[in-house]
Amino acid sequence: MHPPKRIFILALAGILLLLIALDRAVARSAQNTVPRTLMARTRVSADARALALGNSVIGVGFNESSFDAAMGLGKPDGAINLGMGGSSAVEQLLMLRYALQLGVRPRLVVFGFFDFQLTHPLEYATRDLIGNRAMLYYLEPEYARTLYHLSLHDRAEFEIMRRFEMFVDRGTVWERVELFRRALAQQGMPPEKANSMGRAVDFAMLEYPSAPEFIAECGRASRNPLIPSVREIVLQAEAAGSKVYFVEMPMPPEHVHMFYDQLEWTAGYRTHLQQTLGDLGATYIDASHWMPDQGAFADPLHLTYEGAQEFSRRLGEYLRNIAPPQ
Amino acid sequence: MTTFNWIKHAFDYVGGAQDEPPPGFPIQLGHWWFWAVWWGAMALAIYVFSGQSSKFIYIDF
Repeated sequence: MHPPKRIFILALAGILLLLIALDRAVARSAQNTVPRTLMARTRVSADARALALGNSVIGVGFNESSFDAAMGLGKPDGAINLGMGGSSAVEQLLMLRYALQLGVRPRLVVFGFFDFQLTHPLEYATRDLIGNRAMLYYLEPEYARTLYHLSLHDRAEFEIMRRFEMFVDRGTVWERVELFRRALAQQGMPPEKANSMGRAVDFAMLEYPSAPEFIAECGRASRNPLIPSVREIVLQAEAAGSKVYFVEMPMPPEHVHMFYDQLEWTAGYRTHLQQTLGDLGATYIDASHWMPDQGAFADPLHLTYEGAQEFSRRLGEYLRNIAPPQ
Repeated sequence: MTTFNWIKHAFDYVGGAQDEPPPGFPIQLGHWWFWAVWWGAMALAIYVFSGQSSKFIYIDF
């Protein structure tokens, strides 16, 4: 073989070996991602009588021990919190299905949400499938694909990417780079407020910028049905014998005043949700005003640890009154 | 040759501007494994930093 050609082919083989090693290294470093940790917890929680589902508002807002104490549940049959930051109802449905497939038979399923999560159609691009959403690559990917929209280009990309760990869990590497960047950016600067989910200031970006825009969205969203994954959560949980409760999660006073006290929300969108969920047999709990103290919130969306304890205790007491443990 | 000139010569060699390496340069560019490591390192750098455009809000610590 001509030497340069031989060098080229050998070098290509060497690069391939390096990429395989990288793929394995990423797989190893992603063993303890949030979805995998929750899946591992689910495997040892077969007796759980209550499941909490949702994104970060439940992830940090639902305190298992406070809820169990108020609900009168013991340790082996206590609640398990499967809430994940930055996840949608599709990932939450997958987590519920995973628990049900393992034989978990919760008596009640609590789904915490804020704003328009239950009706906002899910359109993804593969670039969105990082962090906790990466589970869409490996937990029932074919089933999950029927519940959200990807363009033709992204569908093809998805099919390739889901076969390589270095693409599936690329977020675990990128997160470290991002944390490093943030640490560098902090040099010589006043400390930024951060919590277990990320930078507090970033979460303000998830809120609507103004009341008029929120009100306009109430009008549009009130005509939308539940997104398929939310509907499936209700139907599949009920088929497994669970009672499903949708909890409009506590929000800081400013969020409540600016958005949830609007007539378009109270008489429009909330009523729409109550009716739609009620038709499916689910119960709607409005807990948005339960925590009127700003001090109970760590950022524009999330409860502090103490706030989560208080909210979970109150939720447990509320549910014990309307659905006492048997 | 000063250290600075040696480093400059090494970069020139790696970049293809000079045909001969500086004295004591440990790598022969004719070795296949050099190019494997070189392009592997390039691929790794692209991989690691290609998340910069992602909108990271949630980092679950």
